[in-house]
Amino acid sequence: MEAKLNADKTDWSPFPYLDDQDVISVQRGPEPGGLPGAYRAFGETLRGLKTTFGRIIEGPVTIQYPEEKTPVYPRFRGRHKLHRFEDTGLEKCVGCSLCAAACPADCIRVVAEENDPENRVSAGERFAEVYEINLSRCIFCGYCEVACPFDAITMGHDYEMSDYNRSDLIFTKEMLLAEPIDRTPLRSEGE
Amino acid sequence: MSQPIRNAVTLNIDGREVTAPEGTMLVDAAKHGDIEIPVFCYEPKLGEPVGACRMCLVEIEGIPKLQTACSTPIRDGMTVYTQTDRVKGAQNAVVEFLLINHPLDCPVCDKGGECPLQDIAMGWGPGKSRFTDPKRHFQKPLPLSPLVAIDRERCILCYRCVRFSQEISEDEQLVLHERGDRSFVGTFDDRPYIAPFHGNITELCPVGALTSYTYRFRARPWDIEDAGSVCTLCPSQCNVKFTVRDERALRVLARDNEDVDDGWLCDKGRYSFQMLASEERITEPMVRAGDGTLAPVSWEEAISKVAAGLRDAGTASAVLAGGGTSNEEGWLLQRLLREGLSSPNIDSSASGARADLVRELSSPALGSRMRELDYADAILVLDTEPLNEMPILDLRIRKAVRRTGAQLLVASEHPSSLDGGAAEAVRFAPGEAAELIGALAAALGAPGYEDDGPHAEKAKAIAELLRTGPDPVIVWGERLFRTPGAVEALLACAKALGIDKRLGPGLLEVPESANGRGLREVGCLPGAGPGLAPTQTGAAASGIRDGMVNGEIKALLLSEADPVRTHPGSEAWRKALASTFVVSIAMFDDPSTAYANVVLPAESHAEKEGTVTHPDGRLQRVRPNVPRPGQIRPTCQVLTDLAATLGQTWDLPDQPAVLAAMTDDVDFYAGISDETIGGQGVRWQELASGRSWGPAVGGRTDNQGDPPPASAGSGLLLGTYRDLWASEVTERNPALRFLKRGQMLEIAPKDAETMGLENGDGVRVSVNGTSVEARVAIRTRMEAGVGFLAEGLAENNGNALVNGAGTRIEVEKTAPAAEFEAAGMGQKATVLSLEGEAAAR
Ligand code: SF4
Ligand code: SF4
Ligand code: SF4
Ligand code: SF4
Ligand code: FES
Repeated sequence: MEAKLNADKTDWSPFPYLDDQDVISVQRGPEPGGLPGAYRAFGETLRGLKTTFGRIIEGPVTIQYPEEKTPVYPRFRGRHKLHRFEDTGLEKCVGCSLCAAACPADCIRVVAEENDPENRVSAGERFAEVYEINLSRCIFCGYCEVACPFDAITMGHDYEMSDYNRSDLIFTKEMLLAEPIDRTPLRSEGE
Repeated sequence: MSQPIRNAVTLNIDGREVTAPEGTMLVDAAKHGDIEIPVFCYEPKLGEPVGACRMCLVEIEGIPKLQTACSTPIRDGMTVYTQTDRVKGAQNAVVEFLLINHPLDCPVCDKGGECPLQDIAMGWGPGKSRFTDPKRHFQKPLPLSPLVAIDRERCILCYRCVRFSQEISEDEQLVLHERGDRSFVGTFDDRPYIAPFHGNITELCPVGALTSYTYRFRARPWDIEDAGSVCTLCPSQCNVKFTVRDERALRVLARDNEDVDDGWLCDKGRYSFQMLASEERITEPMVRAGDGTLAPVSWEEAISKVAAGLRDAGTASAVLAGGGTSNEEGWLLQRLLREGLSSPNIDSSASGARADLVRELSSPALGSRMRELDYADAILVLDTEPLNEMPILDLRIRKAVRRTGAQLLVASEHPSSLDGGAAEAVRFAPGEAAELIGALAAALGAPGYEDDGPHAEKAKAIAELLRTGPDPVIVWGERLFRTPGAVEALLACAKALGIDKRLGPGLLEVPESANGRGLREVGCLPGAGPGLAPTQTGAAASGIRDGMVNGEIKALLLSEADPVRTHPGSEAWRKALASTFVVSIAMFDDPSTAYANVVLPAESHAEKEGTVTHPDGRLQRVRPNVPRPGQIRPTCQVLTDLAATLGQTWDLPDQPAVLAAMTDDVDFYAGISDETIGGQGVRWQELASGRSWGPAVGGRTDNQGDPPPASAGSGLLLGTYRDLWASEVTERNPALRFLKRGQMLEIAPKDAETMGLENGDGVRVSVNGTSVEARVAIRTRMEAGVGFLAEGLAENNGNALVNGAGTRIEVEKTAPAAEFEAAGMGQKATVLSLEGEAAAR
C-alpha cells in the first residue's frame, strides 16, 4: 500500500498521512470458516510435526538433570578452587589480597596472618587466615585467577551453587580448599 | 633570625615555565609544573638531601653529566629536561640495578600496594632485568626492635632510616654496616632499637624493609580506609590518620603538619591504637552497687543517678577535666557546673595555674608558634622535659639546633635529654624555680629583681646567650605554676627580652595535659570562665581534694581524669575519692575510676568529634574514625542530657551546635568553625578575633595552695618528673607493654657514695610513713642532695610521696643490686628480656 502524502490538506496536521490510510501493511489471516479456516488451524501444526517425526529415530537427547550433568568445557569458569602444593601439602595462597584487588564485584575478603615457622600454613611469610568469596556476588569473570601470582586460586568447573540462604553462599577457605563433593564432568577435546 | 624571605625563581622544565621560591630543590620545583621526578632517598623532612639513590637524575642544559634533582637547587633561567632518552636510560638503569638484589616478594611483602619501589619500577623501570645470577640473601624477617621487623633483602640502601636515627631523633642507634652489596641496616651494637620515636622509620622506608609488627599482614591499601584525627595523648596534638579495616583501627600514620608535628609521631601515639578496641574498655554506663561491684545500667538510669548525686551536692560539686577532654566537652562541663549547679570548683590540671597569670600569658604578643622554633636564635627550655611531656617538641628543638644553629639553653630540676646539645644546661633544686628565674630576670635587667642568690652566675650565662639574637623562644613547663613566683619571674624575663614587642618569637608552654590550653580557654580553670573572663574563684585541684576530705565538696565529676595517678598526693586523693560521690567519664577502669559511684564510658580520640587547642593556640579537629564501641555515646550529648535532667535546657543537639555556642562564648574563638579549622587547624591569634585581644582586666584571683612548708630534715629533697611511658597508655596497649617501667630513685653520684648505694640497688623511699619501692639509678648530671622519682607509674607512683614543695625523703636500702641480677631483674636481664621479646616475634 502506498502512502499518499496529505499534501492538499489545508489545515496542517503533524501526521502526514490521510486518516484512512494504513501506514504499515498488515498481513491479515484468512477469514474464519471454510477450507482456508481448516488450513489455518492445522497446516502449520503439520508442518512442525514433520520435523518431529522426521527426527524421532534419533532417540532422546534430553539430559536428566540433576541425575545427569552436562559436561563443561575445560576453560569453563565455575566455582573457585584454592590449591595446595602436592608435595608439601602447604596452601599455595599467601594471602596477598591481589585477587581481592582485581575482583570487579568486590566479593573476595582476605585477612592475612604471619606464618609460624614451626607450623606453616603456606610457603611464604604470610598466609590467608580468612579467605572468603561471596559467590552470590561473583560474576565468574576469572580476574582473581589471572591476578594470583601463585596459581593458588583457579576457576573450577562446578556450577551448582544454589542455596536457600544468601549467607551460605559465602564460601570459606576450607570450602574452597576441599575437593568438590561431586565432580562436574568435563568435555573432552573435540566433543 | 626571622623566617627568611625567599624570592621567586623562574626556570624551564621540559619546556614549561616553572616558578618556585629560591633554594627549592629541582624535584620540588618540578611539582609546581606538574612534572614528577621519581625519588627514593629524598625526603625533605630529613633535612639536607644526600643523593644516595640516584633515582632522580635529570639533564640540565650546560652541565655535561646528569644531575640529581633532589640535591640541585634551582637557579634563574635553568633549563631542565626530565624526559629525554638519556634521562630515561639512566632511570631504567637505576631501577634495574636496584632490583638486582631485590627479592621482589611483593605478594608477601607488607608494603605491596603502597610501595614506592613498585610504583617507580612500573613507571620508570625497563620492565625486565638482564641479571641472572643468584641474588644477595639475608636472614629475614628479623626483629629490629620489639615493634619493627627488618627485611634486609628488600632494603635499597636509601639511608632514610639511618638519617632519621642520626639526625632527627638523634638516638644515633641505627647505622649501615658493611660496604657495597653487603651493606645492611642495624643498630650499632646489634641490640634492639629501643627509642621513643623509632616507629617513624616504618613510615619513612620506601620499601618493605621496615615494617611494624602491629600492622604486619593486617591489610592491603585496598582493604582500608584512612581518616584523619588528632592524637590527644599528649600536648603535642600530632595530626594522625587511622588506617581502618572492618571498623577497627589497625595503624596510626602521621598526617604531616609543619605547624604542629613536622610529620613525625612518637611511639606512644603510633602504637596506642590497640587500646581502642581493647576488651578492657568501658563500653557501657555502670553504677556501683552496695557490694562495691560495678553493674551495667541503662544510660537513662546512669544519668539520673549522676544528676541526683550532683543535685544533692549543689554548690559543693566539683569537676576535674583531664587531658583527653575536648574544648566542647570542657565548655559544657564548666557550664554544667557554673550554671547548673552554681559551683565554681573546676580545674583541668594539677599545677594550680593562676587565672590572672594565665590571662597575661595567653596574650598573642607573648605566645610563640611551633614553627617559630625553626627560626629561633636561642631556645630556653625551662623546667620541662619535652621528650617526656611533649615528645614532638623534643624533635623540633633538636631540628632547630642542628639545622639553624639555635643556641639551646636548658634550666631544669631533672636532668634533661637535651642537656647534651645545650650551650648551657643548669640544674636547680626542686622548688627553686622562682629563685632561678628571678635571677634570670635580674640578669636580663627586669625591674624589681635582684641577682645576689646562688644562681646569679648561671643566670648571667643564660641571659647572655638568650640575647645572642633578636628571636629567643622560651619553652616552659606548666609545672612552674607549682612554685609560687616562678611564672611572675618568667613574665618579667619575657618583657625584659622585649618578647611582647616582636611578632613571632615568644613563650611556648608545655601544659600538663593534652588539651591543657584549650580547657583553660573554654573555662576549666578556677576563677576564669570561657575566654578566660574573670569569674567567681573556686577551688583548684588540690583544693578540691582537700575539700573532699574535709566534707566541703560532696560530689566530683571526673572527665577523662585520673588524679590518683597523675596528681600529687595519691593517698590523699584516694581518701578524697572514697569519701564523696564520684562520677568518672573514663575509657578504662583506672585507679580513680575504682572509687567512682557512677562510671560513664568515654570516647577515644578516634571516635570523638570535637576540637582541641594546641599549646601554641592552634585549634584542631578531632574526628571520628571508627564507630564508638558498645553503648558509648558522645560525651557532648551525655553532658547535655545531664544538664537537661538538672533542669537546664540548652538546645545543643550535637557537636557543631556546641562548637558554635562555645565560639560565641569564648571571645577570641569568635568566628572559628569547622571550616576555618580545616585539616591543618588555625591559630586563634592569627584570626581577626585574636588580633583584637586586649589585656583582659580582672583582679588577681589567687587560687594557689598553701605556701610550701620550709624544707626540714636532713634527707634528700624529693623531686618528681613525668616519664613518657609512665602512663596508662603503656599498659593498655599490648605492643607497648614491654616499655612499662619500674620506679627508679635517681640520685647524684656523690649522694650514692655517702649513702652507700650502687646502681640497681633496691631501696624503700619514704615520706611520713608513706613509702614506695624503687631501684637506684645514679645520674651524673644531677645536683647532689636531690632524689628523683617518676610520676604516674601504676605501682610505686612518685606522686604518692609528693606533699607540697620541699618534701624530704628517707631512703632505706632493701636489697643489693646483685640480688636483682640473680633474680633475673637486673639491668643486663632487662636488656636480654627485650632481646628475647624481640626474638620471640
Ligand atoms: S571470578 Fe571475578 S567476580 Fe568472581 S571472585 Fe573472581 S574476580 Fe571476583
Ligand atoms: S589466592 Fe592468590 S591472589 Fe588471592 S590472596 Fe591468595 S595468593 Fe594472593
Ligand atoms: S618492597 Fe615493594 S617492591 Fe619490594 S617486595 Fe615489597 S612491595 Fe614489592
Ligand atoms: S631499611 Fe628502608 S629506609 Fe632504611 S636504608 Fe633500607 S630502604 Fe632505606
Ligand atoms: S632522590 Fe635524588 S638521589 Fe635519591
